[in-house]
Amino acid sequence: MSASTSVSPVLPTDVDLLARVEDIARGPLARCAVAIDRQGYYPLDIMRQLGAAGALAPHLESRGRDFGLALRAMAAVSRQCGCTGFLMWCHMVCGLYLERAPDPALNTVLLERHAGGESFGGTALSNPMKALAGIERMALSASRVEGGFLVSGNLPWVSHIAPGQYCGAMARRDGEAGQEILFLLRLDDDGLLAPCPHFSGMEGSSTWGLRLKRHFVPDRDVIAHPAQPMVTAIKAPFILLQAGMAAGIVQGCIDSMYEADAQLGHVNRFLEDRPDMMRQELDAFLERALLLAGTPDRTETDYLLDVLDVRVWASELALRAAQSGLLHHGARGYLSDAAPQRRMREAQFVAIVTPAIKHLRLEIARLAAEDFPA
Amino acid sequence: MNAAYEEADAFRRYICIVCGWIYDEALGDPDSGLPPGTRFDDIPDDWSCPLCGVCKADFEPYLPVAPDAVPATPTQIPGRSSGTIWDAVIVGAGSAGWSVAERLRALAPSASIVMVSACDADRYAKPLLSVALSRRLDLGDIRSAGGEEAALELDVRLLSRTVVSGIEPSGRRVRTTSGTLRYRSLVLAYGARPIPCPELPDSLVWRINTLRSWQGLRARIGARSRHIVVVGAGLIGCELAEDAVLSGHDVTLLCRDDVPLRGMLPAEAGAVVAERLRATGIRLVTDCRVTGVRGAGDGVEIEMQAAGDAACLPADIVIAATGLRTDLRLARVAGIETDCAIAVDPATMRTSAPDIYALGDCVSLNGVPCRYIAPLAGQADVIAHQILGHAHAGYRHRSPKIRLKSRTAGFALSGQPHPDMPWEPVDQVPGRLVMQQRRGDTVIARLEV
Repeated sequence: MSASTSVSPVLPTDVDLLARVEDIARGPLARCAVAIDRQGYYPLDIMRQLGAAGALAPHLESRGRDFGLALRAMAAVSRQCGCTGFLMWCHMVCGLYLERAPDPALNTVLLERHAGGESFGGTALSNPMKALAGIERMALSASRVEGGFLVSGNLPWVSHIAPGQYCGAMARRDGEAGQEILFLLRLDDDGLLAPCPHFSGMEGSSTWGLRLKRHFVPDRDVIAHPAQPMVTAIKAPFILLQAGMAAGIVQGCIDSMYEADAQLGHVNRFLEDRPDMMRQELDAFLERALLLAGTPDRTETDYLLDVLDVRVWASELALRAAQSGLLHHGARGYLSDAAPQRRMREAQFVAIVTPAIKHLRLEIARLAAEDFPA
Repeated sequence: MNAAYEEADAFRRYICIVCGWIYDEALGDPDSGLPPGTRFDDIPDDWSCPLCGVCKADFEPYLPVAPDAVPATPTQIPGRSSGTIWDAVIVGAGSAGWSVAERLRALAPSASIVMVSACDADRYAKPLLSVALSRRLDLGDIRSAGGEEAALELDVRLLSRTVVSGIEPSGRRVRTTSGTLRYRSLVLAYGARPIPCPELPDSLVWRINTLRSWQGLRARIGARSRHIVVVGAGLIGCELAEDAVLSGHDVTLLCRDDVPLRGMLPAEAGAVVAERLRATGIRLVTDCRVTGVRGAGDGVEIEMQAAGDAACLPADIVIAATGLRTDLRLARVAGIETDCAIAVDPATMRTSAPDIYALGDCVSLNGVPCRYIAPLAGQADVIAHQILGHAHAGYRHRSPKIRLKSRTAGFALSGQPHPDMPWEPVDQVPGRLVMQQRRGDTVIARLEV
């Protein structure tokens, strides 16, 4: 038996969708990439267009559950703007929560609006994912009250949220060891949001701090209780979709290397990580990520190791491509608004956003450890 | 100023539990109007974290972890940069991995070699693990050198306690939990793992396939006499059972078939082995299948079907010796051809991927794995020559002579036995049985019990 390399084919309808996404990305999105990165422009207008084009929902059950297509769409967007690619990821992951909610107000009414880019929301699961891996403590706690839960705690930065929007969040139940709830947090009260300090890039991600003080979450907004089985089920897609962000950023770097070569090829040939080689590696990476995205329901250890490994690859490839992109451009790429400089920050973000390289390695080491009786 | 006063007077630090920002009393927070030296207790309650904005109540005393209390990190390679391209990256530091490192170093004194090992990479004789109790061997007898020491001697860089997560053949990169390595040649020598079995959970059942697991078992046994149940009556199961009974333990050996070693020996020979094992005091239960193991007090209870009846067997310790298989995940990640193991060219030990070689327990030759020590030297030799581009006549595989390391029930098997061909007795006297398999006039296998 040889290693399987079959990747789901791109169907004609997919081609249409990807063509629409590319039009949006190369047109209106490319024009505001600098404003998004530097001036904090939160591109909800672009997100609405992407939603109308069907790009925010190919991974959802109701739209055919094609994680590969979702990943490709995210890559097409990230090629022009990593921050908007990240917003797509936040939005898509929130969709995964909504479609698993028991209440039709969430799993049908809100999900439809969410899928079509008519309403917006992200994910506050960075801390819980790390908490479940034993890296840090769970920040939110929930206590049972009549008709719901009172949730308290603070989170430092949650993206793709704003007044009137929402996000998936998770809290540990008081006095119930190992019991968590996953719920929809509606940000209807401005007091729940606290502004964040400036980041070095990706300022348009609309990232806020969350402040919850005995905040009431009604039972109908509880998506999973206990939460862990659902977190286990969505962990692989949660991580894998981020490959779309990385692939797009790398492709953007390769584009800019070719662009620079037209003028500077005679000296750029002395650089390592040349565009042709990076393109080869990107193809291999995409093939691998799409193969894994084809079986998002697997939860066995080997599959999780594959997913964690491809996510490490995503980070390392993005960092190398961004570095090389900048070196190909020289001083012009070093200008603060230059795309190669912006992609350095985007690639660094891919490497530090949860799960960061170090978290991935910790989980890989843990999953691969020899286990024997105590 | 006395020490106690100094301690009480020292500036303290407090950490924001939300974002990790640290308030240092010595530095204060001048931007928020707190001059250097402001005690945390003196900060007004309406002060907030300058990074994330939470209030004073969300701070707690910051007690940095002492550097020596940080959990052990994988070995770091001094002077390593991510741009280094290693002449050879060897994955696995068992006998196979070390054999390649030795041959490479002997042939190329200046080659850059790095070994990656999930454990400490200690050098030890693995076959001793199944006979160590009765020979009263301790760690010092089994281990010939620590990994660091062995690496230093061969001038090999070692990444211990490091897991390889992926291989990317076109870019010649290996991703590990200590960073990504670039290679000119890659050698896979990561062995085989016990076959996982849900009826025999890792949390309750020992599997003796590494020095570390043997050390764990040895500590668990302690100084007392125990009731030890060994599941699986193949070579290793029989050896472990005899090892335990000769060390004074009460031993039950659970055998799936009618006689031990059924996959390897004809029934007549298996029956002789069974008789001899029983004579040592081992309780041999044949035709039995374990259906589950559960914890019971300090020990375990083994649920099983024996001769068609359900039974429950209490034990202090249960050891599974139910076979090994090659972990094929890495090979698949790399797109390397596999069958039951990593398929290699039997003459060059080369895999289907460029510049990736494999040897030992993780490979198959013509579709058949060979999990013995004897072939390693020849396999390592050809790989070292291939890597360095030196001429070599090619590896020629010969089935190693197989022995049961037993003081009482030993046998020797040589040649290439065929599982479907009949065995004929050659010599049968009390206490000795010799049999052979023939293809035409040629004897292809010989067995002496």
